[in-house]
Amino acid sequence: MANAELALMAHLMRRAGFGATRDELETCVEQGYEATVEQLLHPELAPVLDEDLLRRYHVDQNSLMLIESSQAYWLYRIINTQRPLEEKMALFWHSLFATAYGKLNHAKAVVNQTNTFRRCGLGDFRNLLLELSRDPAMIFWLDNKDNHKDAPNENYGRELLELFSMGIGNYTEDDVKACARAFTGWTIANADYMSVRASRDSIWPHGRLDWQFQYLPEDHDDTDKTFLGHTGPFNGEDVIDIICRQPATAWFVASRLYGFFVSDTPNEASIQYLADRFVETDGDIRQVMRALFLSDFFRGDEARLAKVKSPTEIVAGTARLAGSHQFPDWTIVNLAMDVSFMGQEILNPPTVEGWHTGREWIDTGNLVERVNASSLEMGNLGQPGVQAALRRVRAAGDALAPEQLVDACLEAVGQFEVAQATRESLVSHAAKDGVLEFGERGSADCAESRIAELLQLIVATREYQLA
Amino acid sequence: MTTVATLQYSHTLGFMANQGRGFNNPVDLAIDSEGMIFVLNRAGPEVGVRIAYKRITRCTSDEQYLGEFGGGGTGDGGLWWPSSLAFDREDRLYVADEALNRISVFGRDGGYLGKWGVGGAETGQFNRPSSIVFDRDDNLLVADSLNHRVQRYTKEGEMLQQWGEFGDGDGQFNLPWGLALDAGGNVYVSDWRNDRIQKFDADGAHLASFGSSGKGDGQFSRPSGLAVDGQGNIIVADWGNERVQMLDEDGAFMASFRGESQDSLWAQDYFSANPDEAAARWSASLEPEIEHRPEYDSHRGYEWERSANVEKLFWGPTSVKIGPDGLVYVVDSLRHRIQIYRPGL
Repeated sequence: MANAELALMAHLMRRAGFGATRDELETCVEQGYEATVEQLLHPELAPVLDEDLLRRYHVDQNSLMLIESSQAYWLYRIINTQRPLEEKMALFWHSLFATAYGKLNHAKAVVNQTNTFRRCGLGDFRNLLLELSRDPAMIFWLDNKDNHKDAPNENYGRELLELFSMGIGNYTEDDVKACARAFTGWTIANADYMSVRASRDSIWPHGRLDWQFQYLPEDHDDTDKTFLGHTGPFNGEDVIDIICRQPATAWFVASRLYGFFVSDTPNEASIQYLADRFVETDGDIRQVMRALFLSDFFRGDEARLAKVKSPTEIVAGTARLAGSHQFPDWTIVNLAMDVSFMGQEILNPPTVEGWHTGREWIDTGNLVERVNASSLEMGNLGQPGVQAALRRVRAAGDALAPEQLVDACLEAVGQFEVAQATRESLVSHAAKDGVLEFGERGSADCAESRIAELLQLIVATREYQLA
Repeated sequence: MTTVATLQYSHTLGFMANQGRGFNNPVDLAIDSEGMIFVLNRAGPEVGVRIAYKRITRCTSDEQYLGEFGGGGTGDGGLWWPSSLAFDREDRLYVADEALNRISVFGRDGGYLGKWGVGGAETGQFNRPSSIVFDRDDNLLVADSLNHRVQRYTKEGEMLQQWGEFGDGDGQFNLPWGLALDAGGNVYVSDWRNDRIQKFDADGAHLASFGSSGKGDGQFSRPSGLAVDGQGNIIVADWGNERVQMLDEDGAFMASFRGESQDSLWAQDYFSANPDEAAARWSASLEPEIEHRPEYDSHRGYEWERSANVEKLFWGPTSVKIGPDGLVYVVDSLRHRIQIYRPGL
């Protein structure tokens, strides 16, 4: 099996998921690139993650009341899912429609929103915006529960246009006002009681109470509105219809997808290509994603390692590679805390604009966190993924020169693309102990330790920080 | 003898509290010889200040708070993933821990007395002990969940017997959770991932199996704790269906309970001290209409979502215990309370 094919597949799985083991890469290459893309685009054909074990052992992850519990729960899902693109799309939409626990004091409400992203994230963008507008966490987050017929609150209407669909410069202040009026009466049930509870972070008497969407026709402004040149007694659905027909919306979604899945560096032609697919398909996200993954700009050299891994990607990807956390264990919360320490508190983004990505993921402090956390996982010889890597290196020969050893280790973990300088550094380290020989039991233990040490160094490289 | 036909809701014991008067994800309770109730708070996650939320709370069935002891930790007397507790005849309290794979022993005053247990799959070892109960000889039965078996130990930790293996045949288990004894010493096991209850004689010989997977009467979804009343009726926390079911001694369905909790005295105290929140609560609908979203069917289930919305319902019931007064205590873990039922016709 050619390394070029494996490298392309590793690229796809890093972007459309959270990485893959060498065994998984080989299976994907055997079925072919296009077939793998189709498989990713249809998560509904793969099994749902069975959560009964998780709920049994983590009583706190059963109710999802606390933010740390909910973060650990999502991380466990990402690590163990057989639907990687479903989770990746959920993370994408969560990053774009950023809704934070911090204001809501209701972790499960944000988790519920991510469930909507799982269900609708590869579907019709219009439907996604409609679901988002009805989502209780969003209604609370951007104050639409306070958007009344006689006293409009523009917060959601403004962000829907500015941050969720068209982008600033493509609408007027009057459009914002009309948009807000269209969403009057879109609220949550028992809004007063839920507001009191949220404002004092009340968990009493018996924990959180879930939120439900409620439409109050008597609180909806059903008079005529003029919105983006159209006039009528618009409700929220009508406004979303108009938004989704705007070229600015196509460009907006295409540019965000490009930035998340292709490269940290924008490319106008490639974004326009995706925007055209958005228009052609009436905003069918699955078809846009298919076009993205099959495009030359995605498969080509320029997109390789062109993104800095987010903290979620690096932590979950390393756990998947190491084969750790495949069964509920209390340490998963520490892994979730690692993600937060690296600057990405999932379910609790810093603002409605989400996280600053790309190079901003890395500074001197969290680079150490990223390297240490990854090295710790890959240095654990008891993990099945590490054992699988050891077996692959062992199969490369009875005696391995430093260059052979480094190449075998890189290939064993699917890290096919490293700079010459990186490889030379690894070889230099491996050469300190000379040729690696597998022999008697004692020396085999020594060989395993040397290999594990190299695997730890590989996940500490510059290239491993990149997706 | 009066035949118990069903159960009637009596009252609720509990209130959400990270420390002090109240519970935090209680998973089991035990009652000592004087009727004092000991509630095991598993809490979680195991990080930072949350670790201190783990504890054992002492109280009475009429809602008097009598203090707490124990606490999160992995040292002697510490709780990490505590799962079950039981009193021996000398009123010593035994506490199983699924993360530490050990049994810790306390006095009824909370004083730490010792520990035993070794994690593993060998004879005399256990892996995530999920339930403990004393038999008629004051030996301790342990549901050794990840080893799919039941074990019997002396109070000092010497293993006497074990039975069961992984599978779905008679006498086999798939991640058993709860244990109970009837008056005759027969042993009942909630065979969690096989969605059934198995009955064994006092020596571990298989006698019967009750139930199958599903939501219907007499069916189960991941049953957790269970108890047998004086008439031989089996009361099961049907955890995955968010309900409690009552079967007769032959395993025939008798009744089902979805939960009907009302405010405990501790909750009433809270609302007295917070009248603005109370006023908003009284003007709200506590049983809101719930949209049946498609993901509910493939995710955790509609009943789980209903319980997240409607406070009076059971949510994650993990244990059933019967007091000397015949009251039935259902540990309602995700609502941080005990729903108490009395026998009724």
